[in-house]
Amino acid sequence: MGKQIDLLQGTLDMLILKAVSLGSLHGYGVLLRIHQISNEQLEIQQGSLYPALYRLEHQGLISSEWGESDNNRKAKFYSLTAAGRRQLRSETEKWDRMASLIASILRTRPEAI
Amino acid sequence: MRLFAQFRSWLKWATKPSRLESEMEAEVRFHIESRSEDLVRRGVPAQEAMRRARIEFGGVESHKDAVRASLGLRWSGELWTDVRYAGRKLRNSPGFTLTALLVLAIGIGVNVTAFGAFNVIVLKSLPVRDPDSLVRLERRSPENLASQMPYPSVVFYRDNAKTLSAAMATMGARIELAGDVQPVNGMFVTSNYFTELGTLAAYGRLLDPAQDDTAGADPAAVLSFGFWQRRFGADPSIVGKVISVNKKTATVVGVTPHAFASLGGQHPDVWLPMTQVPYFVEASKALTETSGGGSVEMWGRLSRGVTAKVAEQELLVLTNELRKQHPKDIWDQEFIKADPGGHFQVMKPEVYVAMALVGTLTLLILAVACANLGGLLLARGVTREHEIGIRVAIGASRQRIFRQLFTESLLLALLGSAAAFAMGYVVLRTMLVMIGAPAWQSAAPDWRVCLFAVGMALAAAIFFGLAPALQTARQRQRKKIARQLLVGAQVAASCVLLIVAGLLVRATQHVLYTDPGFGYEQVSSIDPGLASHSYTPIAARAYMDQFESRLRALPGVTSVSLSSMSPLGHENVSTTTADIGGKAVTIYPSWVDADFFCTMDIPLLHGRNLLPGENNAVILSESLARKQFPGQDPVGKRFWEKDVVGVAANARTMAMNDGDAMEMYQAAQTTDMPSMVVLVKTVGPPEGLPPMAKSIAESIDPKLFPYIRLLKSDFQWNVQQVEHAAMAVSLLGIAAVLLAAIGLLGLVAYTVSERTKEIAIRIALGARPGHVLFAILRQFVWSVAVGLLAGLVGTAVLSQVLRRVLFGVSNLDSRSYLGAIGILLVVATVAALWPARRALRVNPMRALHYD
Repeated sequence: MGKQIDLLQGTLDMLILKAVSLGSLHGYGVLLRIHQISNEQLEIQQGSLYPALYRLEHQGLISSEWGESDNNRKAKFYSLTAAGRRQLRSETEKWDRMASLIASILRTRPEAI
Repeated sequence: MRLFAQFRSWLKWATKPSRLESEMEAEVRFHIESRSEDLVRRGVPAQEAMRRARIEFGGVESHKDAVRASLGLRWSGELWTDVRYAGRKLRNSPGFTLTALLVLAIGIGVNVTAFGAFNVIVLKSLPVRDPDSLVRLERRSPENLASQMPYPSVVFYRDNAKTLSAAMATMGARIELAGDVQPVNGMFVTSNYFTELGTLAAYGRLLDPAQDDTAGADPAAVLSFGFWQRRFGADPSIVGKVISVNKKTATVVGVTPHAFASLGGQHPDVWLPMTQVPYFVEASKALTETSGGGSVEMWGRLSRGVTAKVAEQELLVLTNELRKQHPKDIWDQEFIKADPGGHFQVMKPEVYVAMALVGTLTLLILAVACANLGGLLLARGVTREHEIGIRVAIGASRQRIFRQLFTESLLLALLGSAAAFAMGYVVLRTMLVMIGAPAWQSAAPDWRVCLFAVGMALAAAIFFGLAPALQTARQRQRKKIARQLLVGAQVAASCVLLIVAGLLVRATQHVLYTDPGFGYEQVSSIDPGLASHSYTPIAARAYMDQFESRLRALPGVTSVSLSSMSPLGHENVSTTTADIGGKAVTIYPSWVDADFFCTMDIPLLHGRNLLPGENNAVILSESLARKQFPGQDPVGKRFWEKDVVGVAANARTMAMNDGDAMEMYQAAQTTDMPSMVVLVKTVGPPEGLPPMAKSIAESIDPKLFPYIRLLKSDFQWNVQQVEHAAMAVSLLGIAAVLLAAIGLLGLVAYTVSERTKEIAIRIALGARPGHVLFAILRQFVWSVAVGLLAGLVGTAVLSQVLRRVLFGVSNLDSRSYLGAIGILLVVATVAALWPARRALRVNPMRALHYD
């Protein structure tokens, strides 16, 4: 897999919520989905995914269910709950505001002051 | 909402750790296999793919641990580890554990027992129908209070109060059964008494409104279970039998159940219907008279949804209406107070004071126990320095070590509390049996006692475990101040207990070996009960004259007199409070005749005796005279608008135990006659008098049933009460002193072993034994001294409330204080010197070579 980019603190949760919001996924699937939608730019440390998944479920943002995977094996599938959907929306807004703010700060040139 | 979801999830995983394990396992396996299949698809050889997938995933166990932490499970897991570790540690030092458990069982057990008794008496509801809506109704006004009221008032309130769904009235009366010498306890009750309580008869039926309220109903009697067994030999065919009550026939209709719970702890032998008072008590006007304060107690049941406060408001309106009908019989600003009535004891402020006193003493024992254990734990912390040092070195945080140590204390406290719980049950059970408590009262602990025991364990763990755990975790347990505080606290608390015990023992001795101020050995008191048979003053005077002269004629009778209050009795006791020199003083005023002082052997110190019937004279007791007219001759002065004609010696005839009580005597008037009692003094023992007095009374008026008491039996009863109290508190005091001694012993022993090297150097440099001892014990001398001082001051303040039970011994009685100080000093010296002797035997060479 490609080069790893260090994730900002707290962004892993957001990425998982986003990945799961596009359809229910098992743990390994979450990993693949994030890899795919980031244009293979982003790769997550595989083991650290599970504490995050359990924490999100513990907080009631995602729910899990055992089901059949594509290769006909038993796997645990995660999907977004209503609370998770709200959380994702507010996190996205926050992130957008933050990103544009940081971006505008970084674009500032000496003559603008 | 979120919190609830989290708690549910925590509970789900915490209760099924194995399921969490297997789910994580399955998920990780699936992940790694999927990844390796992907790698295979990209051309990596199968075995290499599996290996690479594993490496990419990282440490499975550390990830699992991270999962547990994210679920909040690590905390509970660690707690479990801590508990198991603490259990192992305690098992490994059985000597320490047993000592600690014993100390705790005593400290907490005393408190659990006291609370258990409080629970049974005050908190537990009576096992009757809907106990929470029962109220006790009493007359109050800013100046007055009365526990009884006239029966017509009860009827008025019952008929007009909408906030009360029912009203019950009770009236105790001594009644006489044919063939008995002594009267038995009867109780007249309204016929709804048993139906309101929902009581079912053990045999036959109980009173009920349908059968016993109708005019011309057959006079019924209900026997108490105990009386039926004692007096009638548990006769199975008792129901329907006719008995003679006050020489009137009554049909026994039934027997109350064995475990009958009555209102306010009433336990008469025979229950009779209120409507039959005039039948059984000839000429009684108890049911119709509105004046004179009345003689029945009122109870009520609140209507559904009504609070006691709301009922009080409605009753106040009714009281004002009653005042319009009988202006003279209702006090200014009178109101009816509604107190919860569904308990064994209706709570009153005096009861709270007594309970608070007992509570304080028992908490002191707990304080001694906790301080003691705290010392043990500190010393133990030092011996564990090595273990804790290693754990800190391998990365345990202070917080973690503190938690571990405190868990150990908590476990100890819970185990100790469990032992205390068992002890409390056994002791309370024994107590209930000994005092002959009603059969429905059980010592079985309920949720309140359980909660109390757990609460006590937590409090104890905090008191004895928190400071040592903090100090040990910070590895600073060598600080002296904590040790000094612990010794000081133990000395102070045991000092309080010892002094109080000393005071009570002194009170017992005082009452046994000093003159109570009046003769009781040869005096009998006879209450003919004229008032309850509605004697007029004139008729009563005539009766008394005849009765007295016939008693005087009996062989062996030396003196006969009248008094409005029966000495040492509990009936018709009246008190007034006077404000003398800014201090409220309780005075017992009696109306007596001239022979009273000679009959009771109370010397007249000064002035003259009362003349028959004089209305303007008063005799004061010595202490009252001294208080009111300090340094002056009271004779000729005015007191309460009367002339002081004499001074009598102090005689606490009405309140033997209250050293502050004072007496005043006035000449009995004709109007007082119906409520007078007769006092008879005989040459020898008074036991022969009752039958003779009884037959005289019988011949004068056969419808009267006089109540005869020997003053010496009442005296002995009073002495026994204080003896029991003195014994109980002495036991507590001895326990406290022993605990304190053990605590001091341990701490000094520990100090010696800690400072062995220093001692060795001192000895090597030629220090004398006295100096060596002083160096070790200096720190304890201060704490013992400060503890003693704190204990003395504390007791001086606390013992104010004891004044009324000390039989005239001052609450600052110097012998008790000095005795307690003496005992404590001796015990402390022995406890300190015993282990300190070891210091003198230290061999400098060996001690200094040791390291």
